[in-house]
Amino acid sequence: MSTIYQAKSIRTMDPHQPHATHIALKDRKILAVGTAQDVADWQAAWGPLELNTDFADRTLLPGFIEGHAHMMEGLLWDYHYVGYYDREGPDGTIWPGLKSIDDVVAHLKQIQATRNDPSEPLIAWGFDPIYFEGRRMTGADLDAVSGECPVAVLHASLHILNANNFIMDAADVKNADNSEYIRRDDSGKPTGEFLGQLGMYMAMRTTNLDLLAAASSPKTLQTFSQVARQTGVTTCTDLANPVPEGAEVAMRETVEKDSFPMRLVVAFQGNSLPPEESVARMQALQDKQSDKLRFSLVKFVADGSIQGFSARLKWPHYYNGAPNGLWYIEPDRLREYLTAFTQAGFQCHVHTNGDECTEVTLDAIEDALRAHPWPDHRHTLQHCQMASRAHFKRMKTLGVGVNLFSNHLYYWGDEHRAITMGPERAGRLDDAGGCLEEGVPLAIHSDAPVTALAPLFTAWCAVNRVSSTGVALGGESEKISVEQALYAITMGAAYSLKMDTEIGSLEVGKRADITILADDPIEVGAQDLKDISVIGTMVDGLVHLNKGRDA
Amino acid sequence: MNQTASHRLAPNVSLTIIAGFLGSGKTSLLNHLLTQSGGRKITALVNDFGALNIDSELIEAQHGNQVSLTNGCICCSIGDDLMRSLADIMRQDPLPDHLIIEASGVADPTRIAAYAAVDPQLRLDGIVTLVDAAAHQLHAQDPYLADNYHKQIEAGHMLLISKPDLVEDSQVEHLEAKLRASYPKTPQARVRHGHLPIEVVLGLQAETGEQTTPPHAPQILSTQIEDHGLASWSAHLHGGLSREVLAEKISSLTPHVLRAKGVLRDAQGAYALHYAGGRIHFEDLDVQPSGHFVLIGKPELPNAQALSDLFQTASA
Repeated sequence: MSTIYQAKSIRTMDPHQPHATHIALKDRKILAVGTAQDVADWQAAWGPLELNTDFADRTLLPGFIEGHAHMMEGLLWDYHYVGYYDREGPDGTIWPGLKSIDDVVAHLKQIQATRNDPSEPLIAWGFDPIYFEGRRMTGADLDAVSGECPVAVLHASLHILNANNFIMDAADVKNADNSEYIRRDDSGKPTGEFLGQLGMYMAMRTTNLDLLAAASSPKTLQTFSQVARQTGVTTCTDLANPVPEGAEVAMRETVEKDSFPMRLVVAFQGNSLPPEESVARMQALQDKQSDKLRFSLVKFVADGSIQGFSARLKWPHYYNGAPNGLWYIEPDRLREYLTAFTQAGFQCHVHTNGDECTEVTLDAIEDALRAHPWPDHRHTLQHCQMASRAHFKRMKTLGVGVNLFSNHLYYWGDEHRAITMGPERAGRLDDAGGCLEEGVPLAIHSDAPVTALAPLFTAWCAVNRVSSTGVALGGESEKISVEQALYAITMGAAYSLKMDTEIGSLEVGKRADITILADDPIEVGAQDLKDISVIGTMVDGLVHLNKGRDA
Repeated sequence: MNQTASHRLAPNVSLTIIAGFLGSGKTSLLNHLLTQSGGRKITALVNDFGALNIDSELIEAQHGNQVSLTNGCICCSIGDDLMRSLADIMRQDPLPDHLIIEASGVADPTRIAAYAAVDPQLRLDGIVTLVDAAAHQLHAQDPYLADNYHKQIEAGHMLLISKPDLVEDSQVEHLEAKLRASYPKTPQARVRHGHLPIEVVLGLQAETGEQTTPPHAPQILSTQIEDHGLASWSAHLHGGLSREVLAEKISSLTPHVLRAKGVLRDAQGAYALHYAGGRIHFEDLDVQPSGHFVLIGKPELPNAQALSDLFQTASA
């Protein structure tokens, strides 16, 4: 059936017709966009078309596109959220932020008291002690939850884990080699905090529970898509996935269902295999794609994180004097991979946090392009948080796009000012304004589950540039307008995924992916952009209403 | 000196981490270790199995990212997930005697070493860092990697100078002297085309049970020791020798001793000593100790008589 949806306002992101009130859908695609005056013509040409007024008081936008998230967001909701900020779960439940270690312990105690099998491992996630003054969480804190079962709390960064003494005893944590990856108290005793993947490994070895084993299971995918739907996302990335043999088939079974409310773009983790095999695997994945499931990107992680002091920074390096971070791939190896994938014609997305890493990656891309010229490669730098104007100019020349981690401004802005890079560099953190002025294609992202998946919030961060304590980062030249931010979470992200001919704007011929909002973000404006209620989405013209909202 | 003790009798997998830059010779060394395993059950976690270039006649079977060799060794690709690869290995039954992890060229080897601290079945034997004699200058001044390079050398419990044949001898000696000045306690050895006595990298084997061979029978050592310009010495120490005294004696030989192993006893009972480049590990044993004691070192080690005096007199 073909339908005309009448809305209060439609923001199309199509320059020919930025604003409309009616949109006609047919065969899962957009048939026409216009106003009440156009309806008679549409009926004459294509009728009969049914007029639907369910969203007559709502605002429609192109379906939001999250260009950098991880499927793990869907897995973590199997565990218990203990983050500092309120977070909306897949069923629309708002989990209130926990503001102290005691709050976290009390919350977990309550869960433990009501569990069917209190001897099972108790896993929590989203914990972030940088917001707590004073002491850090210890094994004894978590023993207060239970000393009779494994209790583990995964930090928001996913790179630190707190364990209770039950786990540490089972692991027989050795005292040897004062490793910087095991936090110890003044007497040398491990406190229960383990860095890197150490904690995860220990939990795996002692509980036989692989915390992340179900990373691509149908349930994980379902939850992931529900979180996405709650925030208006109709196309989401999983950046990245090693896509082991057979995983592509399992994913497709879930994603293809009409009830699955999301397109999924899986980035193949390029360095999960040596270059030649990796290219071959990517080639083999190409005919496993569908309208809703793509294996169109290759992802590399070239350095670590800024707040974890593992990003590679240029001189003068870290503001607090911490040693420079880590390469996750050798620069020469990165060049080798990028050259191989450029030659094979696959678009690459490279995680570069620090500015030194951004430069090295641009060098590698330039070398790859000298060897194998490719005008529309659209290789994209992900995060790219410390890029300067000079870097953006170079990206423009090379045809490289960027997807900035704008949520950092809010969540870690204060830390970046005071600890990691100092006020000056923090002022140009995730410089969306500079990026657009230099003419570089821009997307912005959440990196969920590292921060909450919510494109309107991400847009708000890029527009307002304030930290969680209200401190401004940079000035007008780094900010972008509401219109530019909305473009970044729709067409900007679509461009970065090479899907801008299919999705990203509401114009004739494109897929009928639509986000339904309670209010018009252009009218709401910069201040309250993040608070607009998402009523639901349409994917391929099929309506998916959100839980906890009155439509 | 770094001392550890384990009181568990659970099977211990000895973990060796091979660090070093891209092209420093990690792959050649691994190839050599895997194919000249001398009866050891080795599992190696490597970055790129293809690059190892193992003789196809030695390959028994290949399943996914795991290759079994006819000599019982196993080789697995790490992919991009060391944690999960390691956990998979440690779930296998039976466990290997030795686990070798090839660190990526930019890895912080201490980060990998930390896994051993949280795994009751894993014992860190040591970090072996390869230093490319031919590329040292380049690496030490690399604008992006110099800090990494120095970190890897600093983390090494033993430094292996690779490709000494590609440069003038005086250059190698200069490099060795420079490293010795910065890391006076870290033993060094040269390695050509990956060839090095396996005992140097993976440790010595010593008889654990009752004495079965006559004293001074170094047949457990490969004959390559002397070929590599290294010295070895072994003895049967009949009396008891306290762990503290033994640790002290061995440290007095720093940095000329690369490896030592002994199966001895003291007032606390039988124990095995494992010494690897500056790290001493004592393991409680529940067998009658053989008294067998072996060490490998540089030619600068005291002569046999002096070593005998040093250790025999201590054991009474």
